[in-house]
Amino acid sequence: MASLIFQIVVDSLLLGGVYTLMAVGLSLAFGVTRIINFAHGDIVMYGAYAAFFAFVSLNIDPLLSLLFVAILGAIGGYLLFKLTLDRILDAPGINQVLLTFGLGLVLQNVAVILWTGDERSTTPSYAFDSWFLSDDIVVAKGRLIAFGLAVAFVVLLLAWLRWSELGRATRAVSQNRAAASLMGINVRAMYALSFGLSSSFGTATGAIMSFLLPITPFMGFPILVKAFAIIILGGLDSIVGTVIGAFLLATAETTIAYVVPQGIGWAEGVAFFLLVIVLIVRPTGILGTVGRDA
Amino acid sequence: MIAVRGWIIILGSLVVALVAPHFLPPGFSDWLTRLSTLILVAASWNMMANAGLISLGHSGFWGLGAYSAALLANAFHIPFWLSIVPAMLLGAFFGACLAYITGRLRGLFFAIATLATSEALRVVALMVPKLTGGAEGVFVFDQIRPDRITMTSFSLCLAVATVATSYFLSRSRYQYALRAMRDSESAVQMLGVNPARFRIGVTALSGAIASCAGVITAWFTGYIDPGSAFDLKITISAQIAPLFGGLYTVTGPVVGSIAILALSELTRLYFNYSGGVGLLVYGCILVFGVLMMPSGLVGLWKRRRKPVVTDAAVPARAK
Repeated sequence: MASLIFQIVVDSLLLGGVYTLMAVGLSLAFGVTRIINFAHGDIVMYGAYAAFFAFVSLNIDPLLSLLFVAILGAIGGYLLFKLTLDRILDAPGINQVLLTFGLGLVLQNVAVILWTGDERSTTPSYAFDSWFLSDDIVVAKGRLIAFGLAVAFVVLLLAWLRWSELGRATRAVSQNRAAASLMGINVRAMYALSFGLSSSFGTATGAIMSFLLPITPFMGFPILVKAFAIIILGGLDSIVGTVIGAFLLATAETTIAYVVPQGIGWAEGVAFFLLVIVLIVRPTGILGTVGRDA
Repeated sequence: MIAVRGWIIILGSLVVALVAPHFLPPGFSDWLTRLSTLILVAASWNMMANAGLISLGHSGFWGLGAYSAALLANAFHIPFWLSIVPAMLLGAFFGACLAYITGRLRGLFFAIATLATSEALRVVALMVPKLTGGAEGVFVFDQIRPDRITMTSFSLCLAVATVATSYFLSRSRYQYALRAMRDSESAVQMLGVNPARFRIGVTALSGAIASCAGVITAWFTGYIDPGSAFDLKITISAQIAPLFGGLYTVTGPVVGSIAILALSELTRLYFNYSGGVGLLVYGCILVFGVLMMPSGLVGLWKRRRKPVVTDAAVPARAK
């Protein structure tokens, strides 16, 4: 029993790391632009494919290609924002929802046409390795790496937001668009920057997912819905809240998967139930400040 | 006068709906049934959008309708036309609950909540195999399934009734309250309208109509499973058709449904496989629709006839 509880704790922590990765980009983009990017899951998917092709054709380890993939993602996200969202920033929210939803569809189905629905994955040696802490407590090495990277990413992001000039400007825009604009901050440029940064997190996440999940053109949607649940749990505009949300969801899912009969199937639904409950009980999330009118 | 013309058009289309399937080749009845289900979800989605409620959960209503009809039919052998009643009631009840519990949520948050509920329903359908058959799905008893022509007529009639409902809704005084809610619920509240009542009402109506579409599909195909009944594609087409045709208009969803069905048939004809091309086209329609023609085909048509822009459906995009 004790080892079961310990295993649940370990698994929750590791899964929480993965979920943090999935959600942190979405949370950053929303915090600044107040636009939910329904294409975020598909951006993650492209990162995974990029890492896969780098691994297969150039034999580059996903953890190494991560850097290039992240840079490509930043450029892609910036362009995507400039070409599309930038033009409808002042339109009603419904247009932005429909637009990013459509972008997601386009990205997903271009991938279907280019690479078919076949499952792929990168297979670095650590993907299948695990450590045994004791006789019956297992730590999957791939997930541990993802956990470490998640911690590193979040620390870097928080440090950037706190101490860098651009980070401060980003926070200012997030807190008050008009006031930031009066202080001489180019609000639209900050939007584009945060969107690019968010996509770069997305594609980097994809590179990490490439050895954790099967890569298919359809992997984006489940990731997107999980990320929604997480950022709504934690509070939409708070990075720390996102981390808390990720670990809460991971704990809930892992516990149910272990304890409830047929729990693995039910665990898939935990995100949705939690999401609905949080939206009803506390729409601003645990640490968020955004009201329900956003 | 306008009301009389409206009645004539409605009665005329009902007659056509009843008669036409008898004279058309069988291939058409499949097409027409799909068209009517599309019109049902598109028009019901548009009703909610009209009040500023973005639904990403129409596949939830659809699936509820499909499952309730199929399960009731199998359990009690009720005929097709009767199974519509409990399905609609369930859809309306679910819609009302959804609107009630999400009462404090606006825009984006409402959209995400609806997406989550429909996905939650899919998981439930998958995980309670004793009731729903789980991943294996449910077959509707063949003996009680009506023939294709009856099905097609019935679904066309439902589509006509739906369009008529949204037509009368658009002429009623509720329209003003709903349209005002789209811009600001708090302002509406200040003017003495209770937005909660309208919100629940319109979501219940929309849910009832969308669940009809599920009922039709369950009977028409004779088989449902969680993947197809709660397919995200339903939600996608429910929003693309009104957007393409013209958001917030009565004719928009109909025009849009016909257009996207024609488009999807064309892509199927030219790209002989069911791979991503169809959905890619849908995605492109969404993106270009929002960016280039936010008032849809109907908006283009109106602008062609009258140079003065009337009731700009969606405020023009910023520079």
